[in-house]
Amino acid sequence: MKREGFEVEIGARVRSLLATVLDQDPRAVAELPCDTPLFGAGLSLDSLTGLELLTAIRDEFGVDIASEDYNLDSLRTIGTLVDYLHVGRKAKDE
Amino acid sequence: MRQTLIKCVVWDLDNTLWPGIASEGAVDSLPEPNADVIAIMVELEARGIINSVASRNDPSMGKLLLNHPMLAGKIVAPQVSWEPKSQALRRIAEKLNIGLDALAFVDDSPYERAEVSYMLPQVLVLSPDEVRSAMNGPAFHPSRLTTEGKQRAEMYRAEEQRRAAEQTFTGSRTDFLLSCDMRLQITPATHDDLGRIAELTERTHQLNSTGRQYTPDELRERIDNDRWLTPVARLTDRFGDYGTIGAALVDKDCGLSYSAIRNPQSAIDVWLAELIMLSCRVEGRGIPAALLRWIMGEAQSKGVEALRAVYKVNERNLPMRLLFRQMGFEVMGEGQEELVLVSRDLSEPLPPYPEWLRLDEGRQTIVGTNET
Repeated sequence: MKREGFEVEIGARVRSLLATVLDQDPRAVAELPCDTPLFGAGLSLDSLTGLELLTAIRDEFGVDIASEDYNLDSLRTIGTLVDYLHVGRKAKDE
Repeated sequence: MRQTLIKCVVWDLDNTLWPGIASEGAVDSLPEPNADVIAIMVELEARGIINSVASRNDPSMGKLLLNHPMLAGKIVAPQVSWEPKSQALRRIAEKLNIGLDALAFVDDSPYERAEVSYMLPQVLVLSPDEVRSAMNGPAFHPSRLTTEGKQRAEMYRAEEQRRAAEQTFTGSRTDFLLSCDMRLQITPATHDDLGRIAELTERTHQLNSTGRQYTPDELRERIDNDRWLTPVARLTDRFGDYGTIGAALVDKDCGLSYSAIRNPQSAIDVWLAELIMLSCRVEGRGIPAALLRWIMGEAQSKGVEALRAVYKVNERNLPMRLLFRQMGFEVMGEGQEELVLVSRDLSEPLPPYPEWLRLDEGRQTIVGTNET
């Protein structure tokens, strides 16, 4: 699969996980731009739903963000999270 | 030696809480509980430890249990089903939002004890004969007993009611939270709060920035000194009074202000949150964010340019790390013992408080409180 294909696929899966943990309409979350912040005015993630998201990501992608990215920089926007998972995936493939 | 305090004792029913097997007796009634077990349950509750039940029986027994004259009001979140006991214990820990290592499990069956020990090694597993002597150990002795401690079972029941109401609520989550009439009261700590602050340092893990333990003198020193901002937060809602659910120790003159020694002009005024801690019972309604937001607002109103905080990076307090990320803190550097220094630029706009939360600043404004 091409690189672009991975990103699209990871993006869709991340959005779907976000919709689940935040109990929001998956179609609406699927339409959000990449620079939508995960916390605050964006998707209103908090410490509890954030924990659910990290657990869901670990289960689905096998990536333990809490221990690999201790500053949680990957959790700024939808785009930073997708990029982080994409890079992790690429490193595993190579 | 166990480090963690036991917060809940989970009892088996047949041949443990009562003699014999309930399903072999009369239909629609339950056996008389062992007087000794009831006495232990009362003693545990007086120590701020709550009681629950895990039984492999027909789920319909759950209702009988909650209506039983000797048991009603004594047990919280009972699990009666055919599933393995380890599952029931997981569910209890989840419902009460406490760690598995805060559970003790009492069962007469060696099989059930072995199953739980194997599946959940964190749980303290006891036979009925071992309970009395185990209760002499430090894991069953919270070092101080606060009003919150004595009322803990009551608070868990209010929390159960709140969750039940949430599950049957048909509107949006925000509408539900708006309907709860939540009031957060933030006031400066006084000596009356010392016991509860110390208790929070022992009992909070998920939302505790450093896990540091303080001597009573260290706490008193901070509360008495104007150099420190020491807010305590109390929560009430229409389901009850949750008591003091959070506190913080903020150094308003931490010396970090003068770190720019080589270039004094660049020195900025900063406050340092040495400790922020909240009971995990209040997670999921914006309370942790509100306390941190309040501290940020205080600092900003005094012309402080940045709020710094230290936290310990570990698996357990990940919610605290997420809270700092949520509120816009950035890592400045790592120190010893996994401590990390983070900072929030206060010239950036502060996030709003949750719309469903009414904030009271002052002892007298709170409504519906039953404590003085």
